[in-house]
Amino acid sequence: MASDAIAIRAQGVASRPWVELVHEWITTVDHKRIGILYIVYALLFLVIGGIEAMILRIQLIVPQNNFVSPQVFNRMFTMHGTTMIFFVAMPVLFGFANYFVPLMIGARDMAFPRLNAFSFWLSAFSGFLLYFSFLGGNGLYGAGTAPDVGWWAYAPLTARAFSPGHSSDYWTIAVLVAGFGSVATAINLIATILCLRCPGMKLSRMPLFAWLNLVMSGMVLITITPLSAAQIMLLIDRYLGGHFFDTQAGGSAAIWMHFFWIFGHPEVYILIIPCFAFMSEVVPVFSRKPIFGYPVMVGATVTIGFVSMSVWAHHMFTIGMSSPANAFFTITSMVVGVPTGIKIFNWLGTMWGGKIQFKTPMLFCIGFLFQFLVAGLTGIMLACAPFDWQLGNSYFVVAHFHYVIVGGILFALFAAFYYWYPKITGKMLSETLGKWHFWLFVIGFHLTFDPMHIPGLLGMPRRIYTYEPGRGWEIWNLLCTIGAFVQAIATLIFVGNMIYSYFKGRDAGNDPWDAWTLEWSVSSPPPSYNFAVIPIVSSRRPLWDLKHPEDPDSQYE
Amino acid sequence: MSAQSSVNRIDASAAVPSEIHLPAPTAWPFVLGLGFVLLFAGLLTSASISILGAFLSVAACVGWFREVLPREHEEVVPVVPREIPIRTERPRVERFPTAPEPVRAWLPLETYPISAGIKGGWAGSVAMAVLACTFGLIKTGSIWYPINLLGAIVFEEPFRLDPAQLNAFHGNTFLVALIFHATGSTLVGLLYGAMLPMFPRRPILLGGVIAPLLWSGLLSSLLGLLNPLLESLINWYWFAASQIGFGVVAGLIVMRQHRIPTKENIPFAFRAGIEAPGLMHKKDGGEKQL
Repeated sequence: MASDAIAIRAQGVASRPWVELVHEWITTVDHKRIGILYIVYALLFLVIGGIEAMILRIQLIVPQNNFVSPQVFNRMFTMHGTTMIFFVAMPVLFGFANYFVPLMIGARDMAFPRLNAFSFWLSAFSGFLLYFSFLGGNGLYGAGTAPDVGWWAYAPLTARAFSPGHSSDYWTIAVLVAGFGSVATAINLIATILCLRCPGMKLSRMPLFAWLNLVMSGMVLITITPLSAAQIMLLIDRYLGGHFFDTQAGGSAAIWMHFFWIFGHPEVYILIIPCFAFMSEVVPVFSRKPIFGYPVMVGATVTIGFVSMSVWAHHMFTIGMSSPANAFFTITSMVVGVPTGIKIFNWLGTMWGGKIQFKTPMLFCIGFLFQFLVAGLTGIMLACAPFDWQLGNSYFVVAHFHYVIVGGILFALFAAFYYWYPKITGKMLSETLGKWHFWLFVIGFHLTFDPMHIPGLLGMPRRIYTYEPGRGWEIWNLLCTIGAFVQAIATLIFVGNMIYSYFKGRDAGNDPWDAWTLEWSVSSPPPSYNFAVIPIVSSRRPLWDLKHPEDPDSQYE
Repeated sequence: MSAQSSVNRIDASAAVPSEIHLPAPTAWPFVLGLGFVLLFAGLLTSASISILGAFLSVAACVGWFREVLPREHEEVVPVVPREIPIRTERPRVERFPTAPEPVRAWLPLETYPISAGIKGGWAGSVAMAVLACTFGLIKTGSIWYPINLLGAIVFEEPFRLDPAQLNAFHGNTFLVALIFHATGSTLVGLLYGAMLPMFPRRPILLGGVIAPLLWSGLLSSLLGLLNPLLESLINWYWFAASQIGFGVVAGLIVMRQHRIPTKENIPFAFRAGIEAPGLMHKKDGGEKQL
């Protein structure tokens, strides 16, 4: 292939045989194409996971509903959680990192382009393997198809005695293989950021996007490994008669919890830190000010990376740990809120006094700020062990983490889509449709997840198949389900906007937002080599320096 | 767009190459990924799937290695010269209006560095430990009595001990007491370092004697409600004496350190790194720009 730019424009698609196009995408090692593959793959699974969520909400819309059977309900919440975390959130964030880290640091590609492709295909095939369980999971007649043990797959539920057939094995192997892909991507990102920065780009001048992805990648290396170890131990238990998690043979179910959550909680930060990166790029551009407190932002991110490794057992308060353990994990869980709060203040400080432009990416960032703050506050509440003893495994917890994942991560992702879609496709997304998307999604989000706290406080447990009338849960569940439909409509508008704008959208030009980082200095979409000449930078905002030669940042940094 | 748009090129001064070498596309990562997953999928389906996966994996590894060894396969991509305009619609730069001089003074004007508080806390911790152990020796003939009591603040095991065992060494209790003592002394030392400059007169009397006495009295009355058993085991006169010992020694050590100006009197905009006239000084020379 010797094309100038990656061929994703409609004209290019129409002019070549589809076999050739498929071949190009399968054999590509270009970081931009692999980034697009990650993003498209994640969007596909987002739709699948969203359909599963709708099935769950329809089942709970009224008491004593029988929309699906209890067995299907168990599979749906297992597959929804697993899909959204492992096959939507991580791939889409890796996709953005793949596409933009090399561009932002002035590199031509990732450090290991072939390994990059291998990582993607591992993740992709593992996702397909997980969903093949719907067809191939019937290892024993009536033993179930897709996994149904919850996305954290607690022992002893995963033991052969309680999970016959292969449904749990599909979950274990798919997550294990996806983990290998994640580790390889993390290694690649770290090597790229540390070794391929353009001349002049010291660590202190690196865009926060790259800094935060560096921290995220380090966390992936540390946290995926215990999860992979636990999956291998589970496979040994299930296939070779091991007893790691068999409490009746000297094993420990609590050990699985520790292994899972020492991955599981840092995973939340692995997902949210790249979203912090999106915020740190979008908010300054639409506030027309440099980021407030760059060094503190870096320090806070690194601190989050360290502290978040020591909070995992707050997911286990209800299993009966010792008082010192409860105290330790309560304190660390609260401490991690400090650097996170610093970041929120810094984004507000960036907006303060700025000429704020309320374009769609900025609207989603403002939504993120408010909702992530609320999510943090309920997180602090649940970090208190006595509070958690009351509300652990209730719908209050479900509302809390959906506030983090939807109100935080998904809103930041939408901001990123609206901000960088012009760079990836060369076309602007429609602002009108974007604002419809934003406002409907905000309404739908709050209609779903604000009321969801209440049934939790009233004692509604998570993963409950159905409930008796008269407990005061009905109205709240009805509102939640209506809100889920509003979110689905908003998401359809988003998908429609992407498709419509791809074909009919306004040409973006190389720098539609008047931004300051290096990706906006190349054409949209960028050529396969990114930069004809490797740039030399002398400040954190190289394009600002070019646009304001009379007052460059390099005079002050 | 403003008529005053500034336009520039990012590679204005550099020679543009006619072609660039990039890694050549390859199918082997795809094949290896498929083979790897099939290798595992055989556990769920049939051994033949694993065999196929193993075959694909080996073939892919061989193919991959042959592409990168001894020299990586590359493709040559011709560079298409393009004029990429770097322009802004907002050429005018506004500055935040900031007060040219501090409009009010924040007291104290000087304080001690953080290291002073840490040094004072550690020195005070030694003085307090000596006094507490002296009490243990005098009352029970053992230095471990006050240490076991200190460990009991966060560790319930000492309450299970009979009086004789309270005078003996217990490793886990000692460890807890040591951590608690070191952490508490460091934090209180830091507090001393921050607060002593705020006492205009007789800081040692206030910080070293009166404050520990007040603190001891408060703790004595509260502990009777919170933990009567622990309260009954403490000799409060010796407790107050050890606290005063800590306060006096920590205060003296802190006061021997050099003071530094506080930063509260520097404009916030300067401390936050905001570019503003008169606050940020331009570098001399500096690196060459893009």
